[in-house]
Amino acid sequence: MTSDHSSYAAEMSSDEPKSADLQPASSGGSFSHRSISSNTWRANSIKEVGVIELGSKGGVRYGSRKGGSSSMSMSRREIRDEDSRLVYVNDPVKSNESLEFAGNSVSTSKYNVLTFLPRNLFEQFHRVAYVYFLIIAILNQLPQLAVFGRFASILPLSMVLLVTAVKDGYEDWRRHRSDRIENNRLSSVLVNNTFEQKKWKDIQVGEIIRFSANDTIPCDMVLLSTSDPTGVAYIQTINLDGESNLKTRYAKQETLRIHEVEKSSGVTIKCEKPNRNIYGFLGTMEVDHKQVSLGPSNIVLRGCVLKNTSWAVGVVVYTGMETKVMLNNSGAQSKRSHLEARMNREIIILSFFLVALCSIVSILAGIWLRRHRDELDIMPFYRRKDYSGEDVDNYKYYGWGMEIFFTFLMSVIVFQIMIPIALYISMELVRLGQAYFMIRDDNMCDESTNSRFQCRALNVNEDLGQIKYVFSDKTGTLTENKMEFQFASIFGVDYNGEKTEFYGEQGGYYAEVDGLILKPKMKVGVDGELVRLLKTGNDTNIGKQIYDFFLALASCNTIVPILEDTSNTAEKLIDYQGESPDEQALVYAAAAYGFMLIERTSGHIVIDVLGDRQRFNVLGMHEFDSDRKRMSVILGCPDSTVKVFVKGADTTMFNVIDKSKNKDVITATESHLHAYSSVGLRTLVMGMRGLTSQEFEQWRSSYEAATNALMGRARLLRKVAINLETNLSIVGASGIEDKLQQGVPEAIESLRMANIKVWVLTGDKQETAISIGYSSKLLTSKMTQIIINNNSTDSCKRSLEDALIVSRKATTSGENPRLLALIIDGTSLVYILDSELEEQLFELASKCAVVLCCRVAPLQKAGIVMLIKNRTNDLTLAIGDGANDVSMIQKADVGIGISGQEGRQAVMASDFAMAQFRFLVPLLLVHGHWNYQRMGYMILYNFYRNAVFVLVLFWYVLYTAFTLSTAINEWSSVLYSVIYTSIPTIVVGILDKDLSRTSLLNHPQLYGSGQKQESYNGTLFWLTMADTLWQSMVAFFIPLLAYRKTDIDGSSIGDLWTLAVVFLVNLHLAMDVTTWTWIIHASIWGSIVATIICVIIIDVIPILPGYWAIFHLAGDGSFWFCLIAIIVASLIPRFVLKTVIQRYRPSDIQIMGEVEKFGDLNESGSAEIEMNQPQR
Amino acid sequence: MMNSNPSTPMNAHAPSSSSGGAGSPDSNAPRRNSKRPKYSRFTQQELPACKPILTPKWVISAFMLVTIVFIPIGLTSLLASRDVVEIIDRYDNACVQGSKSQKVQHIQSQTTNKTCVRSLTVTKRMKQPIYVYYQLDNFYQNHRRYVKSRSDNQLRNLGDENDTSSCKPENDANGMSIVPCGLVAWSLFNDTYSFSTSNNSQLAINKRHISWKSDRDEKFGSDVFPKNFQNSSFIGGGRLNESLPLNEQEDLIVWMRTAALPTFRKLYGKIEVDIEAGETINVVLENRYNTYSFSGKKKLVLSTTSWLGGKNNFIGIAYLAVGGLCFLLATTFTIIYLVKPRHLGDPNYLSWNRNPGGH
Repeated sequence: MTSDHSSYAAEMSSDEPKSADLQPASSGGSFSHRSISSNTWRANSIKEVGVIELGSKGGVRYGSRKGGSSSMSMSRREIRDEDSRLVYVNDPVKSNESLEFAGNSVSTSKYNVLTFLPRNLFEQFHRVAYVYFLIIAILNQLPQLAVFGRFASILPLSMVLLVTAVKDGYEDWRRHRSDRIENNRLSSVLVNNTFEQKKWKDIQVGEIIRFSANDTIPCDMVLLSTSDPTGVAYIQTINLDGESNLKTRYAKQETLRIHEVEKSSGVTIKCEKPNRNIYGFLGTMEVDHKQVSLGPSNIVLRGCVLKNTSWAVGVVVYTGMETKVMLNNSGAQSKRSHLEARMNREIIILSFFLVALCSIVSILAGIWLRRHRDELDIMPFYRRKDYSGEDVDNYKYYGWGMEIFFTFLMSVIVFQIMIPIALYISMELVRLGQAYFMIRDDNMCDESTNSRFQCRALNVNEDLGQIKYVFSDKTGTLTENKMEFQFASIFGVDYNGEKTEFYGEQGGYYAEVDGLILKPKMKVGVDGELVRLLKTGNDTNIGKQIYDFFLALASCNTIVPILEDTSNTAEKLIDYQGESPDEQALVYAAAAYGFMLIERTSGHIVIDVLGDRQRFNVLGMHEFDSDRKRMSVILGCPDSTVKVFVKGADTTMFNVIDKSKNKDVITATESHLHAYSSVGLRTLVMGMRGLTSQEFEQWRSSYEAATNALMGRARLLRKVAINLETNLSIVGASGIEDKLQQGVPEAIESLRMANIKVWVLTGDKQETAISIGYSSKLLTSKMTQIIINNNSTDSCKRSLEDALIVSRKATTSGENPRLLALIIDGTSLVYILDSELEEQLFELASKCAVVLCCRVAPLQKAGIVMLIKNRTNDLTLAIGDGANDVSMIQKADVGIGISGQEGRQAVMASDFAMAQFRFLVPLLLVHGHWNYQRMGYMILYNFYRNAVFVLVLFWYVLYTAFTLSTAINEWSSVLYSVIYTSIPTIVVGILDKDLSRTSLLNHPQLYGSGQKQESYNGTLFWLTMADTLWQSMVAFFIPLLAYRKTDIDGSSIGDLWTLAVVFLVNLHLAMDVTTWTWIIHASIWGSIVATIICVIIIDVIPILPGYWAIFHLAGDGSFWFCLIAIIVASLIPRFVLKTVIQRYRPSDIQIMGEVEKFGDLNESGSAEIEMNQPQR
Repeated sequence: MMNSNPSTPMNAHAPSSSSGGAGSPDSNAPRRNSKRPKYSRFTQQELPACKPILTPKWVISAFMLVTIVFIPIGLTSLLASRDVVEIIDRYDNACVQGSKSQKVQHIQSQTTNKTCVRSLTVTKRMKQPIYVYYQLDNFYQNHRRYVKSRSDNQLRNLGDENDTSSCKPENDANGMSIVPCGLVAWSLFNDTYSFSTSNNSQLAINKRHISWKSDRDEKFGSDVFPKNFQNSSFIGGGRLNESLPLNEQEDLIVWMRTAALPTFRKLYGKIEVDIEAGETINVVLENRYNTYSFSGKKKLVLSTTSWLGGKNNFIGIAYLAVGGLCFLLATTFTIIYLVKPRHLGDPNYLSWNRNPGGH
């Protein structure tokens, strides 16, 4: 019995097709780019691989179908020679002679010792910030423009470069190390007819490798044979796509004995060029002049682990960097945060300021030069002429026009930090710190799976604080995707009794095989009535029907039982591995009732039926596809009858069930199904019929013909299946509960209170979706539901118009408008999205508190996200767990992957990954709020901090004949943004908390401050700039006026200005800090102390002009008076404004801060007395 | 602990936290999974913290504190400034008459007699020490070309005599390095003053220690002697005594501490006797320094000092202004808080409680 199943099948629920649905439609184009990510802030570990690159188009076709059909349809197309590679089996020399295929050594590292410097520098200079620094530094090297000394001018840039290079180098060293370990692993390779150990890096294309159970596969190989006589091998792909269940791979019948050397000569494999599609493979093998087609089920990929199969042999087709896992080794695409985009606008304004300042200086310099043009030669402080040489010529004077031009460039150098380019670097550091705290947050750490929050992208942290729309997947995101069998409807009888009892004793049902006790790994509660019937009514009609039902559950699936050892040697646990959680639930349920699947090979299954071990021959299997939405298995029973069991979605099953028989059973089952789905259960219908030997023979011949067909195999198989699956009699139906995740209703309630609109996009049926909506508190009975469920453009248009009228009424009627809920299905969306109806849908949706989209395809999910993104500036967040959510995760402003049951594709595409939906609440309401508030403040503060310094320099330039000399020492100018003021802003950006976690969680409305952009907006920017102007004037003019007409020297007053500005800027920050922890204390006061130390160090170097200036200055009373006056006078306007706002227009955050501090006095009269007595 | 909002969802995962902001960690938290690190206040961002809030009491106290500190400082510094006696005499135009070119010609000529006599009347008793400054106006000692044109290495180390590259265009003359090089030294101020009282008794000027001790000790070498100075065709200012090391040339040391602003004073010397009010001081000065060619002004300043330095009312006025302003603000806020107090931390002020239903 040949089984040539395609590998990804078995999606058996009535639910959306899940992980297997994302078969790429084409093998070329969208998968051909092999970008290795160069994101320097994140190490790409070799483990984090395996995402299918879902381009914005192409990769997924709406409604693209199962792996079987698409890969088969590809096989119809001949592989052209130029697109293929030819592998001579067991002949690596010949395989590699024409084209040098890559060796099997991998290198995930970016640099080696020689290339490190140039390549790292090259990559670093991809950032605008560094290029700006570099240009300024280069300008400064021109002798005409040398404002700063050589060394001082390159110090900031070189420090940043050095820090980044050290970090990159360290990461790369770790990659080198892991590569080396990886490359030196051993595998047994067939050399000269014996298997020898060989290092992975020496493996070549064409070699035959043998590997045993639990071996990691070193390269991509075509399976030749396995320990199973039919050629089945089970592999675990957790390293590839994160899915922990076992997948079946098949060796071709023709190659089962090929590793016996004499047979392998002359066998060639022709396959496609290496590509990154881990679910696709296309090739043919020529064995004995016979063409055998190869599909994705015939290859095993590097990184997979062989399981449950004692050995397997394969031939290497792709090696090293050309393996699919390595080609997929790229990071998530980068998004840019909303706040940063907003900030760039203000940076452009700042560059206009910069140009304006420079223009003013150069124009005034031009005027000054013109007015004094006759005196330039003789002025002692200009003296244009150089008399030292033979000829008297001009020294450093290039004509009036050029002088103006040079003055302009010099002023750009002097005022360079007006554009706070270092802010980009600070922002990255702050995000790194914020990510650290998000990852470490205990409240976002799932205890049961031990998985922490993951930050995969580092540039959208602050967007988390401004989200307005959440698009959520349902299965696996709101629910656990851990299916639990709940209700059975068997032949029209509903068994839904209490599920508390277990079969027999509390240990549950177990089977004894060869002295071993076998127990299912997961216990399922059983219905007492059903158990009683099973035990007693063996010969009754009901007993038979129940027997058939559970036999269907236990057999009609692709589950592989795996025995696990327990502490007790006589006892083993059976773990049912399979790709569909629904199937697992059904098999566990069957086992709990005594129908325990014990063994599966490709030819037969063994089921322990109530203690009686029975062997069923699996004569054939028609796997699930999303056209039929059902699967069937043909069983040869021990009593040598042949039966076909079918299970599938109700919609398609009732079409193939013989309605003439048992009419009342069918109606009863239908009503049970309705009842099940309205409490949110996923339903499946089971049917069966016996086959006469004639029917069986007829089926077998057509089945064999179809499986052996080279062309259109999938289509033929489907036809065979459809012919077989007719006139079934109903067996029963099951209701499987997909439990809501813990805390989902509370989380949704919090999000709603935070004024975040939650949209659920699901592939489920409308009824299931609505019932989940109710149980998750998304829908309440107080809401008016608008349901749009049409299948033509016109009817969609009509219902949209009606709905809009309803919505207008609802929102305008009375003072307590009813909340609206929109429920729309995928078919309607087909007509609405990308048409003129989109606008109406948007209008309607924006009026609705809740939107539920059911029966949506993956690309439609992205389309819905774009519907909002294209029309508003509101930020969107998409959260999902499956491959079908990847498109929306990538499209939304923030994408979150749930690392749950369904593999890692969603996680790979996401910006953040977490284990549970409810973590969204702390993530958004707490971390998002903090991140936004911190980042917004930090940006404004950095603008201020740099501008105030630049303006102080600018005012001084007006007193130096516009010649850009600075009283502030050049070292201080350079160190200002590196040492004097940089640390506190980063620390505050990471650590300051405006409100405590408790308040933020208890009052989700506080999230509104981010949505309303309260921490960063145009008004704040201009206010900050006005404040900056005032503060710079105070800081500059108080010393100027105090030391006017004295013998003060430039260095001394420069020191005064330096200290004044640094004190001022740090105290300004201190005034705005809300939560003073010791770290913030240390950073702010530490910076001030560090500044004083630096100024002192600079002033004890005798060859600098300012030698000893600070000591002379500090001995003078006016210095201290100036310093105090500057700080007080500069901060008064800001302080007054803060006080007035707090008195007259307090923000929610301020009030909540007061509640935090004084709240319990109001409430409980706690013993803790605060210092707020007077106003009470 | 949080109050009043009926719709507050219970969140079981919020850590218990006291209202002071410092969370009270559950120190006896159950032993967690092995991979999971211990509860740490740091990683949970629950470090003990102080959360200052602008309560009316704090605001008013802050303003009052500033008032109380600033007004007395302002008054005392105004008084101090008032006690300082300062005599300023602009002499550049008084000593040379004529058009600009005539003045320039006069000052540049080697032969003209540049001696000039001025008499100053002391209006108020001047207590010793009386500082004698010269004040230059419109002289950009902070000009970029000028401040850069010096070699601090050369001034300090004998060995660095030829380290003159930064001194251009006054780095060498006649093929030899100039010591001290650069425009700053080259333009050394060289007017001299001598004082006598009306009864013709000479007033001694002490020119010792008019420069910073640190400069004499470290910045100017005791073994570096002037060399080749003012030897080029274009002479900028004063000459130096080539037999004295640089660290004893105090006029040069003072001059080379370049001024911050285009109007500046430099110490010339000290008169160490008191001068009574009503006395007239006769000043005999050698008016050699050329400020005429660029319309600079030269003034002679005699000034006593107070504990706060010279005569300058600015600090006093500024302190009084700031102090007064803060007093005004303090009273304004007191009135505001008394007339219309806002209950701090009253949840009824929260936006969603002010207009219920309006999300």
